Amino acid sequence: MNGTRTPLLDVAGLRKVYRSSGTLALDKITLDVRRGEFVSIVGPSGCGKTTLLKTICGLLHPSAGSVTLNGARVTTPPPEMVLVFQDYARSLFPWLTVAGNVAFPLRKKRLAPDARARVIDDALDAVGLSTFAKHYPWQLSGGMQQRVAIARAIAFRPEILLLDEPFASVDALTRADLEDLTLRLRAELGITMLLVTHDIDEAVYLSDRVFVLSTPPSHVVREVAIPLGQPRDQERTRSDARFLALRNELHHLIGRRRESPAPPLAEAVR
Amino acid sequence: MKQRRAALGLATVAALLVAWEVLARAAHSIYVPPVTTIAATFAHEWFSPQFVQQAVPSLIRMFCGYLLAAALGVGIGVLIGAYRPLCRTVDPVLQFLRAIPPTALIPVGILLIGIGDAMKILVIALGAFWPILVNAADGARGVDRERLDTARIFGLSPLATLLTVTFPSALPGVFAGLRTGLSIAFIMIVVSEMIGSTDGLGYTILQDQRTFAIPEMYSGIALLALLGYTLNAGFVALERRVLAWHHGQSARPT
Repeated sequence: MNGTRTPLLDVAGLRKVYRSSGTLALDKITLDVRRGEFVSIVGPSGCGKTTLLKTICGLLHPSAGSVTLNGARVTTPPPEMVLVFQDYARSLFPWLTVAGNVAFPLRKKRLAPDARARVIDDALDAVGLSTFAKHYPWQLSGGMQQRVAIARAIAFRPEILLLDEPFASVDALTRADLEDLTLRLRAELGITMLLVTHDIDEAVYLSDRVFVLSTPPSHVVREVAIPLGQPRDQERTRSDARFLALRNELHHLIGRRRESPAPPLAEAVR
Repeated sequence: MKQRRAALGLATVAALLVAWEVLARAAHSIYVPPVTTIAATFAHEWFSPQFVQQAVPSLIRMFCGYLLAAALGVGIGVLIGAYRPLCRTVDPVLQFLRAIPPTALIPVGILLIGIGDAMKILVIALGAFWPILVNAADGARGVDRERLDTARIFGLSPLATLLTVTFPSALPGVFAGLRTGLSIAFIMIVVSEMIGSTDGLGYTILQDQRTFAIPEMYSGIALLALLGYTLNAGFVALERRVLAWHHGQSARPT
């Protein structure tokens, strides 16, 4: 891994005020993601996690602060970054087949037909859906649909994948499968991962580092390193004493935050 | 199950026709001839060159007007729906214009361009245009935020997004509008031909009524019913093909 000193993604003092309501959603969020790292952001529900990811990937403009990717300021979605949404049913295109969805991000990249077919095959293969290329997304289970969304994202060949609670709407077993799939993609393809989740166990299981957010207006409460080594294993890692200690620490951080009274409105809006 | 329902439908139609036949024969009114008389008239009226002389001009006008309305309505509608500021600006005007009964535009059409084919095509197009436009705009406006964001993330230009994301998303709305537009176009062709014409189905039916050719008049109406039914059935078949993904998706909510 080169350039471990300078982070791949640098978020500095990010602030987001919703123009329509004047609500301060994010308040001076500072975090960084190094190349090849798996970083999670956890926080209580309603702490503006989706807003944060949308601002990081350039879909929303920050009210203050900056996002820097590979040393370049992010103002519109950069080609090195892809966001995977929580709601696969909304983000996938129901009029396209699975292969058609995966081919969608290739429209901009002028590829020869065989190279294009290879990229699609590889992406579907990576998520274990090669045999479902001709199906439509809505013919598949929720977990499989989210795999299609992930395949579509990696077909774009991003350096970093932003994941917005991608496993929130699937059952527990599927969830574990998808978690391990992301770990594998990160190891095999070297894609840096930035995950947003409200599931503390998931954050600890997957991550090298976890940033804990407060209730809105959100800021980073604590950065916690997760020195559990690689590879992770659903049974072994989750029963590791260090895992339990880390998840308790994070629970404590988030729980205490939630109990503290919300700031008065005037202060929040400012 | 499906066959039983179809059989039941056919039986209902047959029962109604028999009832008409019996009642008409009992009543002996020249204004309501029996079904068998109408059927016989239908055969010699419409399996004849008359079909080409009267029905074909009607259908050609209708298709010209309808296709014009479809092309403009879908194109402008999707554009309006895709750009929210534009949508807010023009919406009151659209709501006002669509409230005008399209038949009221026929005198305007006659005034501006006379009673020729152009007038009929224009009023058909105007009648079908508004429901197509409004539904296409609604469909385009309802596109999921996540889909538009996905297109932006993958670097698509606004035009490419409009064509590959907004337009397919709007298709269910577009088809709802096209279907309403089709039935309005069908009404408009008959009315416009009754007002100023020397051929066409509307003209023929009115002429038959004025010359007391009563069974002929009914056979013309029957032909309209058959044409309308066929057009609608064809439209539904097309929609089922194009929107297979939409129906499949709505059949299994996740």
